Amino acid sequence: MFGLIKTWKALKAKGIMGINQRNADYVLKYNKRSLYPIVDDKIITKLRAIEAGIQVPQMYGIIETEKDIDRLREIIDGHNDFVIKPAQGAGGDGIMVIADRFEGRYKTISGRIIRHDEIEHQISSILTGLYSLGGHRDRALIEYRVTPDPIFKSISYEGVPDIRIIVLQGYPVMAMLRLPTRQSSGKANLHQGAIGVGVDLATGITLHGTWLNSKISKHPDTTNAVDGVQLPDWNGFMTLAASCYELCGLGYIGVDMVLDKEQGPLILELNARPGLNIQIANDSGLTWRTQRVEAHLQELEQAGTQETPAERVRFTQQRFGHVQPRN
Amino acid sequence: MRALTLHLKILITLLVALGIGITAYQIFVLGIPVTEDETDDLWSIDAKVEFVANTKGPIKVQMFVPPLNQNFVSLNESFISNNYGVSVNRNDGNRRVTWSSRRAKGTQTLYYRLVMTKRYSGNGEQQAPAASGSIFREAIPMQGAEKIAAEALLSPIRQHSADVETFISEAIKRIGNPNDENVKLLLGGNASVSNKARIVESILSIAHVPLERVHTIRLTPEQLQQTPELWLRSFNGKNWLYFNPQTGEQGLPSDRMIWWHGDQPLVTVEGGKTESVSFTLNNSEINAIRLAQLTDQNTHAQFLDYSLYGLPLSTQQTYQIMIMIPIGVLVILILRNLVGIQTLGTFTPVLIALAFRETQLGFGIALFTLITALGLSLRSYLEHLKLQMLPRLSVVLTFVVILIAMISLFSHKLGLERGLSVSLFPMVILTMTIERLSITWEERGGGHAFKVAVGTIIAGSLAHLLMNIPQLVYFIFTFPAVLLVLVGFMLAMGRYRGYRLTELLRFKALLKD
Repeated sequence: MFGLIKTWKALKAKGIMGINQRNADYVLKYNKRSLYPIVDDKIITKLRAIEAGIQVPQMYGIIETEKDIDRLREIIDGHNDFVIKPAQGAGGDGIMVIADRFEGRYKTISGRIIRHDEIEHQISSILTGLYSLGGHRDRALIEYRVTPDPIFKSISYEGVPDIRIIVLQGYPVMAMLRLPTRQSSGKANLHQGAIGVGVDLATGITLHGTWLNSKISKHPDTTNAVDGVQLPDWNGFMTLAASCYELCGLGYIGVDMVLDKEQGPLILELNARPGLNIQIANDSGLTWRTQRVEAHLQELEQAGTQETPAERVRFTQQRFGHVQPRN
Repeated sequence: MRALTLHLKILITLLVALGIGITAYQIFVLGIPVTEDETDDLWSIDAKVEFVANTKGPIKVQMFVPPLNQNFVSLNESFISNNYGVSVNRNDGNRRVTWSSRRAKGTQTLYYRLVMTKRYSGNGEQQAPAASGSIFREAIPMQGAEKIAAEALLSPIRQHSADVETFISEAIKRIGNPNDENVKLLLGGNASVSNKARIVESILSIAHVPLERVHTIRLTPEQLQQTPELWLRSFNGKNWLYFNPQTGEQGLPSDRMIWWHGDQPLVTVEGGKTESVSFTLNNSEINAIRLAQLTDQNTHAQFLDYSLYGLPLSTQQTYQIMIMIPIGVLVILILRNLVGIQTLGTFTPVLIALAFRETQLGFGIALFTLITALGLSLRSYLEHLKLQMLPRLSVVLTFVVILIAMISLFSHKLGLERGLSVSLFPMVILTMTIERLSITWEERGGGHAFKVAVGTIIAGSLAHLLMNIPQLVYFIFTFPAVLLVLVGFMLAMGRYRGYRLTELLRFKALLKD
């Protein structure tokens, strides 16, 4: 009991944010319920992003009804690789990644050969709501397959590593690189066994990692060090994340991005309830940073001004960047 | 934000104050018992009158019965007699029943029965008849030696007393002393209580202090034949003061009930002889709430009218279950937001807790685990068939029904009657549990699904245990305002920002350096 109180106080002193605090002080306060569909439905997110001129993986087509499935060949015509996603899927479920075509059939990312009607069945399952939150009818999204930048080759296993940045009122406060492992079967979800690696906001150099709630410094599958890696085009990521506030209007979001070999930083999806493990990956508490941002916002409000995404990025990079690496 | 917090604080304070206030009012003002086990004494007093009737002429039996305006509530009163007319009349604070008959033969037996309780009589002090009596009386004339002896006794009594109260007390004590020559003379060899009372009365009359005889019955669970006990009382201008004629002690013990007052005998019989009266007391205990419902009809206190006890009995039983659901919800709230245990869905554990009502806890858990495990394996098989959601759910539900039916059949054949309770085990809850668990399994892996399942069982069991504590059920059912206090707590939890217990473990890695 005494030990628990001590832990409590130590966490508080470090500014670690708990779920209750995240929900009460940030999610409920800054995220209007009516705006949730924008982030919950990947198609709406994508359309909004395209409208705002924010880079996203190119959309090949949307399938809304069973009848639309007939249009599949037409949609994927001319694309050797593509991704099929449920618009309202959660946790990366129901996503089918086609890497190549093979003798009139298709080859998935793991090398399995599947027939055309298997893809159609998958789309049909998506439409019935098999993968959507709450089992509602859903839409299927067919889009460009991201090819991860070769920089990640040495520190990830299959799948596409992605970058998660927590954005408060347009200020990117904390960033993390998520690396798939064999255990997460190529998915970049931390609770499925992916690695989270903290990223210095100013430089884009990776810090230590977290894997299943404990700290690590090497990738379990490739045994390469995950820290000290310079992410390319870091300012591009930061600006992209910061501009997502204007895109969706939600004040507290997790922005998931990927680095494509050819197209650079792209927005994958937004999350209205970003997880808290990012704190372990950065060895730093969120509360401490969010409170600084909130104080800054109050000052701005009193001055009657607002900042552009670039200014916001500069602010957080100055305040929260240049973390001294631990020994 | 701050305004919202203030708003919330006021709301919480208001709800908690209201809840506690109403409950306190029910407990302290209305006197509703706090636990169901609380019982009250119920007295049943039988007075049996026996006499031998004269062969000729009409018969009239008169007997005093207790006036009903005392510190008790009469629940039932009956006069049992064959071929006798009954009438009750009041006179000077007494009540008297008159049995009359044109003719009767041989030994006659008449009964008077009173069922009463001391509880729920309201405030006894205020209910007592507006006390009135004379505070002055003429001296009873005495002559010769008696007069001298009385006056000789009187002067030391005067010296040893300060007021009427102590005066009477002192007089009784003096008369109680058998060695006093004056007392010996006055008693004239008859040391009975009534004779003593008579002497006390005449001595006090010299000092113009009025005195009245009161005949009481002792409320005692011991089975003994008792005769009315004589007490003396005097009016001091405000209240009646009661004295024990033997010892001079003041104050009527609480187990005495006044049957009648005055000098007349308990029973008078015209047209009969060798009358005798015997009292039998019977003490039984009755559930306090039942008693309250009984007295409700007999007194003006209708405090149960607007409670849940005013509902029909079958509806009451439903409400006894329903009113406990907030407790179950509270358990889930605490387990999820304070402790951080993960459960399937939000209120699924409450539904499971309700299901445990019918199966008992241990058997319920076994059944739940068995059916869920079998259902999960079926579900994982169906996964390979790539079925759509609705048909798949229907198959699982049907499978669950078949499973439950089979378990019932087997347990019946094995002679385990418990297995039959399953038939009402809500299978939709089970089906949804299986479905959600299998989705969790696929999305988050077996380990997580197991964790969630165990968390659900723990939350469900805990909720079940709490929802079935009889004392708690009684308390909340009787004092539903307690729910307002719960709402206050829930509202406060709505803005709880501290860590969850499991988060302390989860973030522990951050503190290792």
